[in-house]
Amino acid sequence: MIRGIVAIVILDLKRFWMDRARLVAGLIQPLLYLFVLGAGIGASSKMGGADYRRFIFPGTMGLSMLFSATFAAITIVFDRQIGFFKAVLVAPIPRPAIAFGKIIAGALQALVQGVVLLPFAPLAGAALSPLEAVEMIGAMALAALTFASIGVGIACRFTSTTVFPIVSNAVLLPMFFLSGGLYPLRLAPEWMRVAAHFDPVAYGVDLMRGAVLGEFYFPVALSLAALALTIAVLAWAAVIVFNRGEDDSSLGAAKFNWRR
Amino acid sequence: MLPSPWPWLSQTAVPAVPNMTQEDQEPAVDVRSLVKHYGKVEALRGVDVRVGRGEMFALLGPNGAGKTTLFSILATLRAPTSGVARVLGRDVVAERDTIRREMGIVFQEPAIEQRLSGRENLFLMGLLYGLSMSGARRRAAEVLDQLGIADIADRRAQQLSGGQRRKLELARALVTDPHILFLDEATLGLDVDARRVFWGQVRGLAEAGRTVFFTTHYMEEAEVADRIALIDSGLIVALGTPRELKARLGGGIVSLTTEDDVRALAWLGEHGFKPEPGSRGIMLIHADPAAVLPELLRSLPVRVERVEVHAPSLEDVFLKLTGRGLEVGSKT
Repeated sequence: MIRGIVAIVILDLKRFWMDRARLVAGLIQPLLYLFVLGAGIGASSKMGGADYRRFIFPGTMGLSMLFSATFAAITIVFDRQIGFFKAVLVAPIPRPAIAFGKIIAGALQALVQGVVLLPFAPLAGAALSPLEAVEMIGAMALAALTFASIGVGIACRFTSTTVFPIVSNAVLLPMFFLSGGLYPLRLAPEWMRVAAHFDPVAYGVDLMRGAVLGEFYFPVALSLAALALTIAVLAWAAVIVFNRGEDDSSLGAAKFNWRR
Repeated sequence: MLPSPWPWLSQTAVPAVPNMTQEDQEPAVDVRSLVKHYGKVEALRGVDVRVGRGEMFALLGPNGAGKTTLFSILATLRAPTSGVARVLGRDVVAERDTIRREMGIVFQEPAIEQRLSGRENLFLMGLLYGLSMSGARRRAAEVLDQLGIADIADRRAQQLSGGQRRKLELARALVTDPHILFLDEATLGLDVDARRVFWGQVRGLAEAGRTVFFTTHYMEEAEVADRIALIDSGLIVALGTPRELKARLGGGIVSLTTEDDVRALAWLGEHGFKPEPGSRGIMLIHADPAAVLPELLRSLPVRVERVEVHAPSLEDVFLKLTGRGLEVGSKT
């Protein structure tokens, strides 16, 4: 089990390293949110520019990691499209090892992306003490695992690298907008506050914001439980798909008679 | 000492081969009444095949015949709709984790990461099969040496030729030192020379005692096998050694091209010949072509443009059994 996970993680990190230019490109979006959108909206909000930037820093961190983790999961779709994934599926490793390997690899990539963004914290007015930085990285790690699970959970259902990004964007953006990343959930309309309770991204962003600002919207225990539950459910969903092997495909796998 | 699988026999009556379990004595592949449906499509309609240990076995048929479906079931990637498939004495559904450990698979599609080197690919495959870091590194080097591709092992796979990449696929399948090797259309897209080299290497592996099960739609590839199963529309239509299969036709094949095939066919029918249906031109199977051909050519009322006599090929056997050529409906 552990060796299987390690093998999958090493494989994905080797590929990630070849695409490391992605890290720089991945910085552009959060910095735009932080210093362009943030400056514009901040100037017109009651919080004021500086406070608003500080407020949305964890949110843009979440955005950056969410997209980077999901993008990492595209290797599943790509590998299925070319056939490489079959070689993984016929290996004698437990299916949960494949799911967790993919999740951990995705989380590490998202975490690296997040760490690259971290030096911009002081610029956003969110200078961190060493203790806060440790808290922040802990929260980032948990959020990264959750976001990677979301990526794997979506990706394992797709066999086309052209459809996957369209669908994942359609899922990710609403999740991000509802997360309170760009505004305080406290002041949001009631329906949004209710919806945010069902949005794993909201818990991840809230933990990171807690580390930066020291104030949490959700109880910390609730956030931890919600994130753990999300990871478990999505990993399990991926295991089900991997268990079906090739019987699961764009042909309409559910109809196939897989008896285990 | 393992408990005897035959408790009613005394210890001395048990075969004296160490660690010989019941599974070790079962055929390498044992398929019975195998059926696979995709929705309403019946990909396999009751297939029975047994492959002995150490045998080199070919599954030959046109595209869409069910080769890849059968292959996928044996490779534990698909589950049968009904029927039983056992590999190395173990059920492909209930005991798939055990089988996976003991087989190596070469897929139609590339299953190496093109941006990594061959060595890195084999190393990662070793890890996936539970080897330690150093064990996987050592095993990768061994396999690369064994296949004689150590010199290209450190280049990115995408920089290699088609033949070299296929060898790398074979190496990948061998990392685990499998008892049985499955190859699905393993030489698709290779030129004749590269194919010959590839099959020479596979033949060597079979002679070293591994069971090899491969699918192909090239008849000359199937000829390297000990036994061949011809598959068409989800059924095995013939099974035997290449020689046995060809002997089914007996004698030789006469192919004729005339200025008016329709008239020639009518004439042949009237004079007691039975031209094979469905073939291009005119094809006759005869026990002794040399004896009848001169008279035939003289008597035919139409001018003969080309005549060819040859020993039966697997293509002819397939044509005779199914009324269609192997390459018909080919995707490539």
